[in-house]
Amino acid sequence: MSRFEIYSPEGLRLDGRRWNEVRRFECSINTHAHAADGSSYLEQGNNKIITLVKGPKEPSLRSQANSLKATMDVSVNITRFSKFERSAISHKNERRVLEIQTALLRTFEKNIMLHLYPRTQISIQVHILQQDGGMFASLINGITLALIDAGIAMYDYVSGISIGLFDTTPLLDVNTLEENAMSTVTLGVIGKSEKLSLLSVEDKIPLDRLESVLAIGIAGAHRLRDLMDEELRKHAHKRVIKASTK
Amino acid sequence: MAKEIITPVAESKFILDALKENQRLDGRSFDKFRDVDISFGKEYGDATVTLGKTKVQCRVSCSITQPYEDRPFEGLFIISTEMSPMAGPQFENGSNTGDDEVLCSRIIEKAIRRSGALDVEGLCIVAGSKCWAIRADVHVLDCDGGIIDASCLAVICALLHFRKPDVSILGEQVTVHPINEREPVALGILHIPICVTFSFFNPQDVEENIKGAGNNEIAIIDATLKEESLRDGVLTVTLNKNREVVQVSKAGGLPMDALSLMDCCHKAYDITERITDQILALIKEDSQKRNKFAQILSSENAR
Amino acid sequence: MSIEAVCGVLTHVDGSSQVEWNDTKVLCSVTGPIEPKARQELPSQLALEVIIRPAKGVSSTREKLMEDKLRSVLTPIITLYQYPRQLCQITCQILESGESEYEFSEKELSCCINAAFLALIDAGIALKSTVSSISLVISQNNEVIVNPTGAQLLNSRSVHILALELIKEMNIVNNVLLLDSNGDFNEKELFQVLETGEKSCLALGQDLRKVIQNNVDSNIIQ
Repeated sequence: MSRFEIYSPEGLRLDGRRWNEVRRFECSINTHAHAADGSSYLEQGNNKIITLVKGPKEPSLRSQANSLKATMDVSVNITRFSKFERSAISHKNERRVLEIQTALLRTFEKNIMLHLYPRTQISIQVHILQQDGGMFASLINGITLALIDAGIAMYDYVSGISIGLFDTTPLLDVNTLEENAMSTVTLGVIGKSEKLSLLSVEDKIPLDRLESVLAIGIAGAHRLRDLMDEELRKHAHKRVIKASTK
Repeated sequence: MAKEIITPVAESKFILDALKENQRLDGRSFDKFRDVDISFGKEYGDATVTLGKTKVQCRVSCSITQPYEDRPFEGLFIISTEMSPMAGPQFENGSNTGDDEVLCSRIIEKAIRRSGALDVEGLCIVAGSKCWAIRADVHVLDCDGGIIDASCLAVICALLHFRKPDVSILGEQVTVHPINEREPVALGILHIPICVTFSFFNPQDVEENIKGAGNNEIAIIDATLKEESLRDGVLTVTLNKNREVVQVSKAGGLPMDALSLMDCCHKAYDITERITDQILALIKEDSQKRNKFAQILSSENAR
Repeated sequence: MSIEAVCGVLTHVDGSSQVEWNDTKVLCSVTGPIEPKARQELPSQLALEVIIRPAKGVSSTREKLMEDKLRSVLTPIITLYQYPRQLCQITCQILESGESEYEFSEKELSCCINAAFLALIDAGIALKSTVSSISLVISQNNEVIVNPTGAQLLNSRSVHILALELIKEMNIVNNVLLLDSNGDFNEKELFQVLETGEKSCLALGQDLRKVIQNNVDSNIIQ
């Protein structure tokens, strides 16, 4: 089918990783301090994502205000230049994008302490500068970081990861080539728990393999959560030093 | 959705309290799927699925058109799920950009079209110039919860039931034989995906759900409209009889333990098996009823 | 073949009916009076939202035209001024067309009118009078055929839809609400259509009354 060898007999993947290794994961927060209340820039493999969180702020429409909790909205902007070939059409009203927006909204609605911010609005904007495999999962990580930067109270981290299934071997954190060649599962895991906020399988997977895929995915998501935590602590440390030297 | 369904506080509290005591309003147990009733219309490709009070009709039609340039050997297959106020005042005519409508159409799309339930290569007539375009129109007539499950069933039943006119090809000349002239041919259905929807409720406080290890969340199968309006999370699993997961969608909502989700998938498989057998039996029965000459022409005898 | 109709088939709308007549099957729902959106609201009367959805494919100008005709039949018989600033949604779903959809809409429309009338009564919307509608054709040998089949439509010289306003227990014709004729016909033939149509509409009216009576009997405990 493909001229690439997705997973070699020696146990190496296209980009030289083993089955249980994640891609390069680099993130930074507070990248757009003048544009938003919270922001993050995330590179997960070749995904490059800017996330902006604005709020809690006065709702733009009075009808959006809820006297019990904050209202949220998520908009995902897949730029036309995010793939190798420039897309001729805007992705804005594609059903796939609408679905992703709804899924992200519903994931974070349950993880943000919305009741602490009644009559306000929290809007999340995601801009995808470059697309790679597991884009949906990376969006979750980007939003988690930006929400933390905005200082919005959450119960825990939500980390996203996608896992492919090659024959019987689960491959952690797939890239585009792998994603196109096999079925993938996307997970959104809460903190260090085994609770899934989001689970999406878009292609056929044998029922009996699903459990092992989930187990690997959860372990990978915990690893990403640690990487995010580390970066946040580093950033916080820098800010504390800056503030104390003034 | 245009108008949000508002359940009175007293009623919602009653439903939730009942759930905590393992009771549902309609007396079903938590993992009981409502009885599925399938009926076929006079014409080929007309199936109506009744799931409790939910009623969905699917109508499959075909026409000849030109295939996409990049896929000259494949026919076209479109599923249209448009809601109308007939299903309930919460739906608006012509606007299908509501969250639930988008999720519903995407899940059915993934479950049936993307999973390759219909053999699109079998729809090719002349490569690159002529192919069948199959269209499935889903009409939600009455909505009492579980429209995704019912719509998926309706589409797959209608596809199984549908017959397209026979064609014969002589060089570039394509002749379409009307149904009354030559026996029409069935579509190639490669597998039968069945959707099962679980609704989750959190009987405790939010902290317990996220931090606790109790995993006391309630999962019910095939919620009614009232239960749907109160649920905290939803999971739709699509499986087929070959023990393949075709599609799983848990778009956020109440965080659930991975093992309980796996448990849901296994429960869904039992339901899938049962419903698949039911569909196949009904299709067989219907085709026997239509083919009244089979008995005369058959060489089978009582001996 | 007589009309087969039932009321109250749907549960989440205020009124509904299913009408099956000679291979054409229509399901109609009525919701109202409900709160309208700001752009639909009429300050002094009930706003009507009429929707007709085809059995196959997306709705096009054909359905829009049918919606328009259905609205023009229903508007005079509903007591619109009793419900100011309210909305009534009337949705017709064609289940089986029974005619060639590219050329005709006569059978579907006449069934929609009858179904909408029954559904309005089922929903308890106040009406000034009653309506019944039939489709007719004039065949190649100049015969007037009431409620034709799909094949008779194809072989016709002209096609007509007639909707009459009936009063006094649906025994007397008060007005013509819709007469829509297409094809090749002359004045004499048109009057012949009206004459035959009047008889059939009155007969149909009695059938519809029976349907309503059955519905009332089954809903009300005496």
